[in-house]
Amino acid sequence: MGNYSILYYITLALICQIWYNSRMIYLDHAAATPVSEKVFWAMKPYFTDEFFNPSAAYLPAKKIAHDYGAAKAEIAHGIGAKASDLVITAGATEANNLAFTCLGAGKKEAARTKGKTGSSVLYLTTEHDSIRRVAELHGGEAIKVLPNGLIDLDDLKKKITDETELISIALVNNELGTIQPLAEVATIIREIKIDRMKRGVNRQLLLHSDASQALNLLDISVARLGVDLLTINAAKIYGPKGVGALYVSHDAKLKPLAVGGGQENGLRSGTENVPGVVGFAKAVTESKEHLNGNRKKYAKWRKLFLENLKDFELINKKHCLDNFIVLCFDGIDAERLVFLLEEREVYVATGAACAASKGVRSHVLTAIGLTDSQIAGSLRLTLGETNSEEQILAAAKIINEVVQEERNRVNG
Amino acid sequence: MAKTVYVGMSGGVDSSVSALLLKEQGYKVVGVYMKNWSKDLPGMKCPWAEDLADAKRVAVKLGIDFYVWDFEKEYYEKVVEYMLSEFKKGNTPNPDIMCNQEIKFKLFYEKAMEAGADFIATGHYARVKHDKDGSVLLRAVDENKDQTYFLYRISKEALSHTLFPIGGMLKPEVKKLAEEKGLHNAYKKESMGVCFVGEVGMKDFLKEYIDIKPGEIREIESGEVLGYHEGAVFYTIGQRHGLYLNGKKGVVNDGMPYYVVKKDIKENVVYVSKNLNHEAIWTNELGLTDVFMRNDAIKENADVLVRLRHRAPLIAAKFDGKKLTFDKEIKRPASGQSAVVYDGEKCLGGGVII
Repeated sequence: MGNYSILYYITLALICQIWYNSRMIYLDHAAATPVSEKVFWAMKPYFTDEFFNPSAAYLPAKKIAHDYGAAKAEIAHGIGAKASDLVITAGATEANNLAFTCLGAGKKEAARTKGKTGSSVLYLTTEHDSIRRVAELHGGEAIKVLPNGLIDLDDLKKKITDETELISIALVNNELGTIQPLAEVATIIREIKIDRMKRGVNRQLLLHSDASQALNLLDISVARLGVDLLTINAAKIYGPKGVGALYVSHDAKLKPLAVGGGQENGLRSGTENVPGVVGFAKAVTESKEHLNGNRKKYAKWRKLFLENLKDFELINKKHCLDNFIVLCFDGIDAERLVFLLEEREVYVATGAACAASKGVRSHVLTAIGLTDSQIAGSLRLTLGETNSEEQILAAAKIINEVVQEERNRVNG
Repeated sequence: MAKTVYVGMSGGVDSSVSALLLKEQGYKVVGVYMKNWSKDLPGMKCPWAEDLADAKRVAVKLGIDFYVWDFEKEYYEKVVEYMLSEFKKGNTPNPDIMCNQEIKFKLFYEKAMEAGADFIATGHYARVKHDKDGSVLLRAVDENKDQTYFLYRISKEALSHTLFPIGGMLKPEVKKLAEEKGLHNAYKKESMGVCFVGEVGMKDFLKEYIDIKPGEIREIESGEVLGYHEGAVFYTIGQRHGLYLNGKKGVVNDGMPYYVVKKDIKENVVYVSKNLNHEAIWTNELGLTDVFMRNDAIKENADVLVRLRHRAPLIAAKFDGKKLTFDKEIKRPASGQSAVVYDGEKCLGGGVII
């Protein structure tokens, strides 16, 4: 009886959600995605019935341990890896922080820093704060980007020294959607590694990439990308929030951020988040199934949207994910547009994204050479599964109206 | 042509409704968020960015221009440094009074005037009457919310160009109006004085700037050492929390709290007592320094009403311009706090308690 009433309420909640969603136009899928229905139902039994601790001795718990392992394998499969290569974390930020524990592997800190000439960490200047902050803690040095948002490979080559141990470059930038040529970076790294060996320089050189934004729109294989460490995240691909993973190759030796029961090969203690990981696995599999269809769909919507929009400048013209649209309206304060659109139930981000809420200029838009007024006028729209073609057309119309209203107000 | 008003908007309901009312009254309204402090201290997060977004959202909703004016450097120099130097002297200063005097009704006022304002406005609960002989500061209609305690020493010039749009309203009316007009922040919890440091945070805040210097806590009656403290400057007269006392040897703890009754900054000793009637706590006279009279010089031994803390009840007293005399003994406020004097609803001025 109790079970049925729970199901009843959940169904009711879902119907309400669908009704509500049909009114709003959500264009911020890079910030958060709703949990898909299939993911939701896959997770549900692990909250209520199959709740056992995977480490417990009795048989029902063993089943949970098995299901957890299978889910991890499913996630790993999605990036061409094995379950044992993954460390499950509470999201991408933790995975990014964990990746940096590879620094100084096998060496004493004093020996490592003695006579240092370069930085042991290099990171792309447009990285997310969860990389920038931790890289700064390790005295990291930033690699420049070109005005199109792509990594400046010459600058990278120039900055790699014999001290360099870790290079972190996001596969897809979170503000522009720019896809970085990681395979090219991996080739450069391979050459440098060979050169180091020839000269007898014994220091690791690892490539880490945060692929949080990319998992549902790019076919990711750790081997093809040539990465040693890869961050992935369920929350951006219609899975639950607070679940992520770090792929760790055999070359990377990490240290745990938190110790305890020794779960996740001792790298991440704490009782396994079974429902979260089951949901993550389902989200990965769903993403893979619809990868090509979604890319085509978003590319079409993006084109349609831009055809119907007036008086704007497109910031991210090339080399980016099909669902990212970064726009600039000259002389208009984008943050005002966010609030004006909010009243029309259209939800977008400023180009500065979370930078806006922190009251600082976007470091990403600054890095690609935008002027202050361009940055202040830029909006980030990220399309996704809550949208439809009608919504895209409606959004273009509403944005045109709101921009016109604001222009009229300013010109007074 | 419509007069221009620059409104200080904090993101809270009071300043939001102030902007709304001015707009409805036909003024050309410009919203300004004053950024005074942005540093996060360990374990304390100042929600300024969120406040800024709230203020801006309201400005957009009202269709008014909106700017962020960065006074962080000046706030540090004029308010924080003053606060620290007063604490080091053993006083308990009031940063909000200083902030109004030096930032809101000075820097903000001056910058707004330069930008072409006819008036400035804030969401304070206070009233101002603009007469040809000068502007008079009056207590708010909402006696429970009156904020003239914080405003008693703002400059006469600034007050003559100031509007307090909600001074005639009750707080529930302000909230109701915000709800009716769809201002989302109607339910926002009230900000507590200075953004970066609530009552609890003061000691932690001070510790960021003032080194810990252990000293003795002594019972004032016996002189006996009951415990140790981290620096006399961190304690305030009347304080009963955050005292780490060992108790007296051979005396069973009766559960009654000890209060700080005296601080010796030079010797770094904090004196405490359980006796609420201790002579150090009570007085019928308060000397004032740094007295600021708003409109007229005070007459010899004038009958006034005094407020010794924000929202504290008004007490009758005699005031000679330097000293307050009370009929009945009052609990002595911490030195550095202000005493604000009124004649009826008119704020006469006030001074800093010695």
